Amino acid sequence: MLTKLMKFATVASLAFAGATSAQAQEEGLLGEIIARDSLLCTGHNGSYLGFAEVDAQGEWQGFDIEMCRALATAILGSPDKVQIIPISWAQRFPAIQSGDIDVIIKVTGWTMTRDTELGLQYSRPYFIGPFYVMSRTDLGAENISDLEGGVFCVNAGTTVERVLADYMETNAIEYEPLSFEKGEELRAALYAGRCDAIAGFGPFLSSTRVNAPNPDDFTIIGDVIKLEPEGIVVRQGEDDFLDVINWMVSALLLAEENGITSENVDEMRANPPSATVERLLGVTPGVGARLGLQDDWAYNVIKTVGNYGQIYDRTVGEGSRYQLPRGLNNLWNNGGLLYPLVLD
Amino acid sequence: MTTLFTSQKFRRTATQVLFIAVVVATILAVILVGRTNIADQGIATGFGFLSQTTGWPVSFSIIEVGPRSTYLQVLFAGLLNTMLVGFMTLFFATLLGLFLALMRISNNGLMKLAGTTYVEIFRNVPVILQVFFWYAILTHMPGPRQAYSLADIAFFSNRGLMLPAPSLSGLDIVLFLGGCVAIIIGVKATKTKLRVPFAVFAMVVLFAALLLTGRAPDVPLWSVPELKGLRFVGGVTLKPEFSALLIGLTLFGASYIGEIIRGGLISVDKGKLEAGSALGMSSFQINRYIRIPLAFRAMLPSLSNQYIWLMKGTTVGIAIGYPDYFAIVSTSINQSGQTMELLALLMGGFIVVNYSIGFAMNLLNSRLKLKGRS
Repeated sequence: MLTKLMKFATVASLAFAGATSAQAQEEGLLGEIIARDSLLCTGHNGSYLGFAEVDAQGEWQGFDIEMCRALATAILGSPDKVQIIPISWAQRFPAIQSGDIDVIIKVTGWTMTRDTELGLQYSRPYFIGPFYVMSRTDLGAENISDLEGGVFCVNAGTTVERVLADYMETNAIEYEPLSFEKGEELRAALYAGRCDAIAGFGPFLSSTRVNAPNPDDFTIIGDVIKLEPEGIVVRQGEDDFLDVINWMVSALLLAEENGITSENVDEMRANPPSATVERLLGVTPGVGARLGLQDDWAYNVIKTVGNYGQIYDRTVGEGSRYQLPRGLNNLWNNGGLLYPLVLD
Repeated sequence: MTTLFTSQKFRRTATQVLFIAVVVATILAVILVGRTNIADQGIATGFGFLSQTTGWPVSFSIIEVGPRSTYLQVLFAGLLNTMLVGFMTLFFATLLGLFLALMRISNNGLMKLAGTTYVEIFRNVPVILQVFFWYAILTHMPGPRQAYSLADIAFFSNRGLMLPAPSLSGLDIVLFLGGCVAIIIGVKATKTKLRVPFAVFAMVVLFAALLLTGRAPDVPLWSVPELKGLRFVGGVTLKPEFSALLIGLTLFGASYIGEIIRGGLISVDKGKLEAGSALGMSSFQINRYIRIPLAFRAMLPSLSNQYIWLMKGTTVGIAIGYPDYFAIVSTSINQSGQTMELLALLMGGFIVVNYSIGFAMNLLNSRLKLKGRS
């Protein structure tokens, strides 16, 4: 009811404002975002280090936050036109269903239940999340079966809980599970020695290790227990919005594949090395209108947040304190699993 | 017809009927609109998911649940966890509260000071901080390999307190509890002077009989915890999550309950107590027949409130990883996405538990009611 009213108000206000561009004809959530001139994106209740954290200046930082900014830049032209809404893991689905947020960018695994039963839709994976186990170094465990009978701590309500249970059952390893609602409490319990090991998403483990009083106390065990594709989530039926998201992710990857960075993007736009780059940067028209955006949206995104590799390095990779190797999150031609879609 | 409208009685009734009709219509409209909106958003899909398996483990439960249990079983386990820690909290907090109240009304200055200090400290610190505090202390104990040991049969480490336990199965425990109830009922019906010692003796015999017969062959009488690899095997373990929640809630709740009991005790009119002694009653009799019934009735409403509050307070367990009902519902929402249904179950569960407390207290109240007074 309310959303219908809002839609009506949006359409009405756009009509009065004298719709000028293709944007105004955009209906649904994308139109609402443009009319509101602000994107409502997910933050975290506390810190999910490397992905959504608040820095010393009180600003949100992290990989997911950068993706929010990239999306805001693509749609609204500026990375500042995003509102980061702090939200817990458990809140994110109700929040998007009720319209408190426009999009979930919160390392959210693509699972069948979530995709089919919750009225949600996933974008193409923007991050490949391997799950590992990190244990106390003094236990001397070399693989997970050495931790037989140990206490494994996980974040409550995440896919890790299930993935670990599956792995342990398949490999007939007995363990004692313990789950915490918040990352802070999980880390406190780990550092205090309540847990023998924690299971989780690789980036989460390495950030947990970096922040330990003594990082050498913890070792990430090499066994990958599961690979999880992380997608961006929107409400079912917001197809136009999902198109924008998919192509935003693709543009970031395409930029990296073609060596376009935030530093050289102007130069590239002046002398495009290939037809694809020409199309991507909006030198020849098409990349914008088909999505209901301006033709320079991809240029703006690359100019402000950089390409996929730059975002990765800055937030979780070599350029950050987490030093997470690119691994499977490399481009296909560097031994990874990521690839851009075809921009024709 | 005009007389009808001029009749004050009719107008009053009509206004009331109209008012109720409007209220009912509004509620119905809200429900209907809410239902369509929820259906439109695909949030609610019914309770079918309750029979699906969860795929995730629960770290602590009285009944056996695992990744292959259904949502219904796991939710039930969560409700039991809440009730376990809740009722134990009520019991211990009441005992401690009674003790505190007696300290504060005693004539001994030192006792008074100790009681007052306790109440002021524990009443004024938020319960979640207290629970965190105890949890931090318990988890900063040495690890299992360096555990403190008591004669090698009981151990204390950051994994909890491991105690030896009789090797009884779940069925044995149910039989034992059932037997105890039967003995108490039987003994109550008889009227010999020896009935209390007899009841205790009968319970011991029942326990011993179950202990000797109710276990598999080659299993020792007592299961003693033993360090094996990373953990202790055998015995019972009081996990730090459980203990921290119990200690935190009990110490916090006792400060309030103590004040309620103190208030009740001093509310009893002095004249009634003097009347008792004028009748030649002993101080025990005065307490038993005059002071406690009167005080109890005075404190019952606030005590029921406090009990219900403490039961709801168990929800802070989610912060330290204790899988209470709220934590289980929260995880279930996240895993299954059935927000509306699970929130309804969450509310339903707490209403049942809290209503039972209120009901029990009312029952107690009517038992204690002074007979012969309307």
